[in-house]
Amino acid sequence: MSDVAFDTAAARAEAAHHEVTHIRPDRGWLDLDLAAVWRYRELLLVLIMRDIQVLYKQAALGAAWAILQPLFAVVIFTVIFGYFVKMPSDGIPYPIFAFAAVLPWTYFAEATRRSATGMVDDAELVRKVYFPRLIMPLAKVCGPLLDFSIAFVVLLIMMLCYGIMPSWKMIVVPPLVILAGLLALSVGLWLGPINVRFRDIKHTVPFMLQIGMYAAPIVYPLSRVPEEWRTLYSLNPMVGVIDGFRWAVFGRGELNLEAIGLSCIVILVLLAGGLVFFRRMERSFADVI
Amino acid sequence: MTNDIAISVRDLGKRYRRGAKSRNHDSLRDVIQDGVMSLMRGGDAERKAQDYFWALREANFDIRRGENVGIIGLNGAGKSTLLKILSRIVTPTAGSADITGRLGALLEVGTGFHQELTGRENTFLYGSILGMTRAEVARKFDAIVDFAEIGDFIDTPVKRYSSGMYVRLAFAVAAHLDPDILLLDEVLAVGDFAFQRKCMNFARSLEQKGSTILFVSHNMFSIKTMCQRVIYLKRGQIVFDGPTDEGLRLYENDSRLQQAPWFQDESGKPSIAITDVTLRDEKGNETGVVDFGKRMSIRIGYKAFRPIERPDFRVGINRSDEVHCATFSSTADKFEIPMIEGEGSIELKTPPVRLVSDLYTMNIVVRDRGFGRILCAQIGGSFHVRHPVFASNAFGVFHESAEWRAHETASAPQRAEAGP
Repeated sequence: MSDVAFDTAAARAEAAHHEVTHIRPDRGWLDLDLAAVWRYRELLLVLIMRDIQVLYKQAALGAAWAILQPLFAVVIFTVIFGYFVKMPSDGIPYPIFAFAAVLPWTYFAEATRRSATGMVDDAELVRKVYFPRLIMPLAKVCGPLLDFSIAFVVLLIMMLCYGIMPSWKMIVVPPLVILAGLLALSVGLWLGPINVRFRDIKHTVPFMLQIGMYAAPIVYPLSRVPEEWRTLYSLNPMVGVIDGFRWAVFGRGELNLEAIGLSCIVILVLLAGGLVFFRRMERSFADVI
Repeated sequence: MTNDIAISVRDLGKRYRRGAKSRNHDSLRDVIQDGVMSLMRGGDAERKAQDYFWALREANFDIRRGENVGIIGLNGAGKSTLLKILSRIVTPTAGSADITGRLGALLEVGTGFHQELTGRENTFLYGSILGMTRAEVARKFDAIVDFAEIGDFIDTPVKRYSSGMYVRLAFAVAAHLDPDILLLDEVLAVGDFAFQRKCMNFARSLEQKGSTILFVSHNMFSIKTMCQRVIYLKRGQIVFDGPTDEGLRLYENDSRLQQAPWFQDESGKPSIAITDVTLRDEKGNETGVVDFGKRMSIRIGYKAFRPIERPDFRVGINRSDEVHCATFSSTADKFEIPMIEGEGSIELKTPPVRLVSDLYTMNIVVRDRGFGRILCAQIGGSFHVRHPVFASNAFGVFHESAEWRAHETASAPQRAEAGP
C-alpha cells in the first residue's frame, strides 16, 4: 500500500515499549487521572470546535443568536421590571444594569445545560470510542464562551452609548467568567452521570435554571436583599459572580469580596465532590447510556 | 521474552445486570416503581444473584506482537464485550489486561462523524476521536482523501454523501491511524467489493509491518484469510484458542442447528424446530464435501409443536463471506405439503451444483402458509464445494460452461505474438 505512510518497524517497536496500558476493574476513590485529560487535550479542542461549527451551521442567523438571546432577555426585563415594576437599579440605567447580569448568567445557564446533558447527546461516541469522559463536560463548558465573548462586545458598545467608560476594574471579568464556568462544570459533573441513568435530568435542568435566575441578583440589585439574609443568599455562587460583574462594569462602591469568597468556597467543594462522583460513575457510562 | 507480548489478559471478566439496558435508560419513575415493587416482595438475595450474568468470564490469553487473531462466536458470546474492555470503553468487573503499544479500536466505522460538517472537518474530528493529533491528521490528509476516493467532495457536508462515500472516508481516516495494535469489529464488511478488497489489502499491509490485529467477525472467509489463530468464545467463556482451521471446524459444528443470528422469534413459543440436517452425495453417503456438477440431497428433520398448514420449507445457501448464493423453496418448486404435525422429515435433491469452490452454509427457514410469517430459521451446517479449476471466489459465484466460437477476420496476420 504505497499511499499510506508508515514508520519503520524498528521505530514502531521502540515506541511500543513506552506505552503500556493497564486495564483494571477498580480504581481508588481519589484517583482522578487528570493526566489522561491533558493527553487528550487535542480532542477537547476539536470537540469544542465541532460544537461551535455545528451550532452556527444549522442556524440561519448563525452567530447573531449569541447576541439576540441575551438582548431579548434584557428588553423583556427592562419593560417589565424597569418600566412597570420600577425596580431600583442602584442608579444605573436599567437596560445596562440588567445586561451586565444577564451576560454571565446566560453563559452559566448554557454551560450548565450543555455539560449536564452533553454525555447523552454524544451517546454514540461514549458507546463506541474511548476517551477520558471528563473531556465531555469540559468541552461543553468551554463552547458557550464564544457566545459570551460576542455578547460581551455588545455590552461594551452599549456602555459607550450610555456614556459609561470601561475602567481597569474590567480585569476581574476573566476570573469571574472562569468561576461561572467552574460552577457550571461542577453542576455538570454531578448531574451528567445522573442524566446518563435517568433522562429526567434533561427536563429538570431548564426548570432549575429558571428558579436559579430569580435566586440571583439579575432583575434586582443585591442591595434589595435584607442585610441579615445576605450571607445565606450569597451561598448561591452566582451571587458573587454577578455582583462582581456589575462592579466591574460600573465600578460603584467596593467589590463584594465576602460574596466572591463564599462563591469560591462553594464552587471548590462542589467541584471536588463532582470530580470524585463523576470518576466513580463514568466506569459504567458505556454500559447504561 | 515478555517484551514480545502485545496484549496480556488475565482472568478478565465483565458482569452485567440482566435487562439493565432496557431498564436503566428510562425514567426515575420506573426506578421508584421497581424499588417499591421489590420492597413489597421482600428483597431476596437469591433473586438478585440471578439478575446478573457474565458477558465475559475468566478470559486468559496472551497475544504476541505481530500476531493476527480472530475472535469468533455466536451473537452474544462476548466478542464485542472483550473488544470494548480492551479498548477501555467499558471497565471490567474482574481480572486485568495489559496492553503494550499504541492501540487503535474500530468498533464501528464513522462513529463521531457529524452530518452537518464537511468531509474535511469530519476527517479532523474523527482523527482526533481515534486518537491522532491534529498535526498528524494534517500530515496524512492527502493520503486519506486519496485512499477514500472521494476527491472534490471533501468540502461537502457528509450528509450529502452516499453511504459508500461516507464509509470510505471513515475507513480511510481509521486506516491512517497507524496503530501498533488494531481492534476491528466487523468493520471490514463495508462498502462495495472493490473497497472491501482494498481494506483487506490494507489489513494485510499492516500485518506485514508487524502490527497486531484482533479481529471480530462472523465472516469466516475473512477470518480464514487474515488470521492464523482464533479465539472461540461461547457464552462468555473461551472454549478454544489455537489454529484457525481447527477453531473454525469446532465453531461450525457448534453452530449447526443454532438459530440464525438475524432471526428473532416474536410469537413467544416456537411452532416448529429443525432437529437434524444431513447432507448426502449421489451415492447416498453422508458427506461434507460436494463435487462441482454433482447433485446433493438434503434431509431436514423437524418437530412441529402445533399443526402447520401448507408450510414452505426453504434452504438458503450462503457462501463463507455471507453472500447469499441460492435458495430452494418447496412452495416455489410447487411441492405442496398439506399439513405437518409432530416429528417428520423432508428431503430435497438439488440440481447439479454449479457453485465454485468455497465453504457454504445452509440456512433452513420454515414459513407459514406459502410465503407467510417465518416460523423458524436455523443454521443447517456447512459443506465444501470442490471445483477442479475455480478454486476461489475470485471467479464469481457459480460456473457454467459456455459455448465458445472463434471468428477469423481476414487481416490480422501479425497478432499471433501480441500479448501483455
